[in-house]
Amino acid sequence: MTETTTPRRAVPLWIQIVIWIFIVGLLAIVALGLSRRQQGTVQPGQKIDDFTLTLYSGYELGGRSEIKLSDLRGKAVVINFWASWCKPCEQEAAELQQAWTEYEPGGEVVFLGVDYVDTETDARVYMKKFGITFANGPDLATSISQYFRIRGVPETYFIDKAGVLRYVQIGPFVKVEDIRAQIEPLLK
Amino acid sequence: MIANLGFGVLLVTFFVTLYSLLTAAFSNPKAFARLFRSIPTPRTQRWANDLEKLDTPQRAASMVESARRAMLLTFPLISLAAGLLIYLLVNDHYEVQFVYQVTSRSMPTYLKVTAWWGGQAGSLLFWSWLMSAFASLVTLRKWDRDREFLPWVIFVACFTLAFFIGMTTFYENPFKQFYQTPTGVEAYFLQPANSILFTPQDGNGLNPLLRHPGMIVHPPMLYLGFVSFVIPFAFAIAALITGRTDDRWIRLTRRWALWAWLFLTLGLVLGGRWAYDVLGWGGYWGWDPVEIAAFMPWLTGTAFLHSVMIQEKRGMLKHWNMILVILTYDLVIFGTFLTRSGVLSSVHAFAQSAIGPLFFTYIAITFIASVALVIYRWGELNAEAEMHSLLSREALFLFNNLLFMSILVVCFWGVIYPLTSELFTGAKVTVGPAFYERANGPLFAALLFLMGIAPLSAWGHSTLKTLGRAAWKPTIVAVIVTAALYALYTKNVYALIGFFLVAFVILITLYEYWRGARARQKSKNENIFTAFWNLTGRDRRRYGGYIIHLSMALMAIGILGIELFQIETQGTLELNQRVSLGGYDVEYRDIARFTGPDGREVTRAVLGVYQNGQYLGDLHPRIDYYFDAQQTMTIPGQRATMKDDLYILLVNWEPAAATGATFKIYVNPLVNWLWMGSLLFLLGIFIAAWPDKDPQRVAVRVEKSVRQVSAAD
Repeated sequence: MTETTTPRRAVPLWIQIVIWIFIVGLLAIVALGLSRRQQGTVQPGQKIDDFTLTLYSGYELGGRSEIKLSDLRGKAVVINFWASWCKPCEQEAAELQQAWTEYEPGGEVVFLGVDYVDTETDARVYMKKFGITFANGPDLATSISQYFRIRGVPETYFIDKAGVLRYVQIGPFVKVEDIRAQIEPLLK
Repeated sequence: MIANLGFGVLLVTFFVTLYSLLTAAFSNPKAFARLFRSIPTPRTQRWANDLEKLDTPQRAASMVESARRAMLLTFPLISLAAGLLIYLLVNDHYEVQFVYQVTSRSMPTYLKVTAWWGGQAGSLLFWSWLMSAFASLVTLRKWDRDREFLPWVIFVACFTLAFFIGMTTFYENPFKQFYQTPTGVEAYFLQPANSILFTPQDGNGLNPLLRHPGMIVHPPMLYLGFVSFVIPFAFAIAALITGRTDDRWIRLTRRWALWAWLFLTLGLVLGGRWAYDVLGWGGYWGWDPVEIAAFMPWLTGTAFLHSVMIQEKRGMLKHWNMILVILTYDLVIFGTFLTRSGVLSSVHAFAQSAIGPLFFTYIAITFIASVALVIYRWGELNAEAEMHSLLSREALFLFNNLLFMSILVVCFWGVIYPLTSELFTGAKVTVGPAFYERANGPLFAALLFLMGIAPLSAWGHSTLKTLGRAAWKPTIVAVIVTAALYALYTKNVYALIGFFLVAFVILITLYEYWRGARARQKSKNENIFTAFWNLTGRDRRRYGGYIIHLSMALMAIGILGIELFQIETQGTLELNQRVSLGGYDVEYRDIARFTGPDGREVTRAVLGVYQNGQYLGDLHPRIDYYFDAQQTMTIPGQRATMKDDLYILLVNWEPAAATGATFKIYVNPLVNWLWMGSLLFLLGIFIAAWPDKDPQRVAVRVEKSVRQVSAAD
């Protein structure tokens, strides 16, 4: 080791400690995010726990502004996660609405739109633009999306009459037939 | 068969890389001896003694040479693997999973080739290929004066390469094939028992979004930028390990950093252009996590390019440069990880994959090792000079660095915030463009201001008086320009501040250029154009830098225009109905749906554009539906002028319904200045970075020829 003419000034201990705490903290946060991501979404076959969705006014279900999953036992439930800032969601918006108008009269299926990380103003513009009429509400404190461990939007979850998850669609639907194909088995 | 060969080549490459890495490391047993020496047990002391005995110059030299050759071998090997993959892609070998995922029969050949980087596995191979090319280039240079760096540069380069090649070989292998087994069709490395090869009829096709010319060039540019930043990092680590902490490593890598920065900037600009043309946002930049991930190393890289000059000229900021290079490399890797592992959700939908944990381990190792090294060598990186004046050039450069770091902190916080908020409050909160714009806007403005005055300041010492003398004329003109804009164009305060700063930068830079050329014209008696030319040639780094500053100012005009003055409308038009926006009248004339080339259904509208009653031409926004990928793509109709872009999207049209077609229309003022600025940027960076003779190397060569002469005597 060569001798330096200036005295060696090492990094003060407390700064070293701060740096290491920062790095370990950062790595821990990322590791946590990663481990959640690795779990993937809730898997089909799992019974879905009860949750409450607050609905936007004008998009209530049967006049109620709050809906519990347990209230819908005996009906098939289609849960669609979306957001107004989400471009791929626009691809399937019209198709979802069309499917809803087909199944609404039968009364056996309920569509729930869950608006993920959004503002009500933007969400209303979006729903108006695509003529959405099925029940929709914000995912308050992102509790529902965290329960389902969604990876992004759009994602659609199909729950049967007994409250068991049957199918998960990641990304947008392209055709109405694809939506029908997932709903039909739930009605048997 | 070919796929198996490709797999074999990858495997061999991985072991060659490992060999090179280990040989390079063990060529220097002293370092390990020192490590053992620091642990006070008899056994480790004995190991240290044994290791020191091993350390002979001959052994070290031959080991380094061996490592170097192994390193050089990786390039032809990866090229071979890449060649095999391209062969499989071009010849429709759909039994290979990767080929199935990214190509289809209807795609033209050039797209089948570029599909190489259209999927995760292929793009990792592409990354490794570039990395190997750069590492080979750097090991081929003359190392006479820098022998001690060589093993550690090889070590760092091969460490990075081994990681990427390892991932490509064992996790994301592009040569996996489909096999039909009793339980179904799966992709395997090697043929399992009781199975036959399964060949699908046709492939999935490349994501239509990636079929744009901008997208063909954008990823390679970004990768080039990322990869070439590994070289300065490797040298910095070599300098830290060997303890040779003078500024030699900086002089060696300055040009690498410039090229890296060129590619990174081009990658960002091309990505913006692609978003503008293809994504139908009406914009070029959405503060998406993936964009920010590429933007963050750009920030530290830009800061590095500036602060390097202070170390070269004044011997200051040695710690800081080390930190910046390491930060840049870590941000490159961190950004790649964040976006590829799916930790952050974004419009850049990369496939979910198993590489997350592995990548995470790699990041943890590089972060911890590089930080530990900096702390270990901290005392030896002392400044040779002190800061004397707050207006000196080094002080202004320091401010510039602080601003870049502030922007980095804002971006980093925005990216990491969803993760931390989920951890501490239980709710995932993402931050939108508004957050970034509000926080970064003033910082960008301050950067522009510094860009104006910093070139006027002198090294060591400047005063308000000297700065004022150089700046007052351009400042007055900038004020006049701003006043004219106030009267004629806009009353928006933010826009006026922005335009003033842009005018300030452009005028001062031009004025500086002009003064230099004039001085030369007088003293050397050249005409003004020759004077300009020679001035640039004599100090290309400086004047190239000025041109880059000008280009940034032009880009700022475009950004101000689209951010502050963009107007839009959306509406459903009947045939021959008109809508007007921003001085344009748009008439919906015709629409047709037909089958286009390479497997898509095209819906194309014809709109006539009028301004003040005068017919300007037709625009054709369209929607392409790709059958193989089952995906639609919205291509805007654009009419670009220096004043503004008319940008029309076809949102919806149903042939059966008689309700007309829905359009979204944007007027994006000044956005073309952004693309013009990027062209000027290219020119500037070529001037600044074009290789010239390294004066030190010339000196070495002279020395050598002298030696040869004396040997001949």
